[in-house]
Amino acid sequence: MKMKLTGIQVFWMITSMDLGMTLVMTLTPSLLAAKQDAWISIVAAGCIALLVTWLVTQAAHLYPGQTLIEYSQTILGTWLGKAVVVIYLVQWYTIIPIVLRQFSDLVQIMLLQGTPIEAVMLLMVLLIVYAAYGGIEGIGRCSEFLGPIILLMICLVLIASLNNIHWKNILPVYADSEIKGILSGALAPASYLGHSVEYLMFASFMNKPRKGAPYAFGAAMTATFFVLITTMMIIFVIGVNLSPSMWYPFFEMTKKISLFGFIDNFDAIPVVIWIASVFIKLSVYLFIACYGTAQFLRVRNWRVMLWFIAPVIFVFALIPQNVTEATGHYLNRYWVPFVLPVNMIGLPLLLLIVGKWRQQNRSTPV
Amino acid sequence: MTRALMACRCLIILVFLGLMTGCWDRKEMDDLALVMASGLDITDDGQLEITLQIALPTGIPSAVQAGGSGKKSVIVISAKGSNASEATGRLQQQLSRVIYFGHRGVIVIGEECARHGLNQVLDTYTRLPESRYNGYVVTAYGSTAKEILNEPYQLELIPGIGINKIQSSKVSFAVKMDEFLNALSSQGRSPVTAAIRIIHQGTDRETFSIDRAAVYQGNKLSGFLAPAELKLLRWWMGGTQQMRFTLQLEPEDEQYKGTIGVELMQSGKKIHTSVRNEIPEVWVNFHAAVRVIDNDTSLDFSRSNNMRLLETELSKQIQTEIQSMLAHVQKKLKSDIFGIGEEIHIEHPYVWKKIRNKWTDIYPVVPVTADVNIKIKRMGKTQAPAHLRKTD
Repeated sequence: MKMKLTGIQVFWMITSMDLGMTLVMTLTPSLLAAKQDAWISIVAAGCIALLVTWLVTQAAHLYPGQTLIEYSQTILGTWLGKAVVVIYLVQWYTIIPIVLRQFSDLVQIMLLQGTPIEAVMLLMVLLIVYAAYGGIEGIGRCSEFLGPIILLMICLVLIASLNNIHWKNILPVYADSEIKGILSGALAPASYLGHSVEYLMFASFMNKPRKGAPYAFGAAMTATFFVLITTMMIIFVIGVNLSPSMWYPFFEMTKKISLFGFIDNFDAIPVVIWIASVFIKLSVYLFIACYGTAQFLRVRNWRVMLWFIAPVIFVFALIPQNVTEATGHYLNRYWVPFVLPVNMIGLPLLLLIVGKWRQQNRSTPV
Repeated sequence: MTRALMACRCLIILVFLGLMTGCWDRKEMDDLALVMASGLDITDDGQLEITLQIALPTGIPSAVQAGGSGKKSVIVISAKGSNASEATGRLQQQLSRVIYFGHRGVIVIGEECARHGLNQVLDTYTRLPESRYNGYVVTAYGSTAKEILNEPYQLELIPGIGINKIQSSKVSFAVKMDEFLNALSSQGRSPVTAAIRIIHQGTDRETFSIDRAAVYQGNKLSGFLAPAELKLLRWWMGGTQQMRFTLQLEPEDEQYKGTIGVELMQSGKKIHTSVRNEIPEVWVNFHAAVRVIDNDTSLDFSRSNNMRLLETELSKQIQTEIQSMLAHVQKKLKSDIFGIGEEIHIEHPYVWKKIRNKWTDIYPVVPVTADVNIKIKRMGKTQAPAHLRKTD
């Protein structure tokens, strides 16, 4: 029973994973570091994301048909390969509870203040277990449907915000923040736009494994483009005096929309963007974590893993005390300093170099 | 086996449905006290007093009966406390419904409270998730916010909506919550709001009017602008709908008053700054195309030399008015409501880095030159006044 993904599905999967999360979660650190030049940071972040995409597509195409768990051991040998897999497993096992927590925090802060956080989480966990149980193919089709909706909603917010624009907010360009500020502002969005790293796992499920690279690139570029436009819009509309102190500036921007005096309160739209994006992200990660663990531990039926992992992530998600810990600490202490350089750039590069070298050695006749 | 699976699925769907209703946060309309406007005051002993104007759903008649007096459509309640949350808590204890800020369109700041400074109070308002940035901020002129919110207003059932509508019409000077906060948190700009005052005091026609502006320095109120100055401030901020000027072109005699009335059509403003020895210099150019709407002089404006005369005289008069307003705001109120600091920030970012921390001290001595350029575009339907003096 082999699951198949089409290129378009991979495109929408990566796009929607990148978009919603980056828009809602990472713009505050960027605005804080680079002020009105945050959009330059996003451009830099996009370049990093494209580099990550290039590395992972190249690495994944070395052994088409194998998943990360398999080919990392083929390339690096059993023990080193296993070590690499463990590093990725740590990433997957920690990102799921954190995203789950961030999702429930936002829902609680902005919308449902009276609802216990466990109820919000439980709903999402049940939903993603259901999606992941169906396998990557179901998730792929789901994102094929939800992805365009996410894009459409973002466009709607951007167009509706047009009459709130103050052009001067973006000036002066570059003079205030030095290159250091701009680059440090690029790290957080880059680490979220770099979700094409999951392509390492997707590649083996594709119906044409070697043809996936353009879709992954397309997804990274689309996501970067929309994040860029939205960041500029936030600067134009809210300005940089207030936005760095907000948890969710994208949300606040939609709250300001007021059209013709009677179309108000667009806050429902970011909720759609956000929930759709989080749902896809969580179910993709849950699937990857289950499938990867099963392969790693040589469990025949990967679906069994769901029943162990789902309760674990639910409990883990309850650990952070408040929004500061869930949103700030994980991002600043683990995701940006460790995952970005190691999981997204270092390890794919290692796999790529060693893999190329091995294949060359093998192809040259002895 | 299949039956167990089916049962399992049904169970999951049921759980989903149960959770998705969002029961914990359901808000029924008749459980909410919809706040239409709120006011902040400071009492003599330094406590904060919050006033809420709450819509009374049963008091609002249907469209057919609207306009008929009788039942009150709002209640106004106040409570004191050491901070906003304490005062709101006390208000809640008087109410059988939950206070809901989602519909608040106006925040009135009492004059005393504004002079005292209002950082902490505003934080409470922005932290509340349901409070929106679309509400207007107005400052009370010569009264407390409590008095303003207790004023009757004939045209709307809810006075708070009246204030909101006056503000959102382009004719008035209006500042929204987020613009106010933005100016408050910016180094190169001081906040300014519209000022509301009670008119016809003591008579049965007592109500409110918004015809002034309240100028802040930092988070403290430093003074008010007169109605004529408010007009020029609106021009500076970029809204000149229905803005009219009257000019005394000729001395008054027994036949003519000698005045000309014009209305602005297209208008604009350009700022240019330069810096010498860390002291900035500012030039502002106001330009507008106007149409003549009344002419009570003996002049015939189909003649080009008369038109030229009107243009120069009008420019000169407005220029004087602007200069005196600038001097008032800059020298006396010492408040950068025009965002001159921001202009320097944009045009000379590296100089700004050096002077921004001293900006409040530098600003009052920065030379600002205004230059006005008026062009007459339309004359109206008639060439000359119908009662033109026969000279021969």
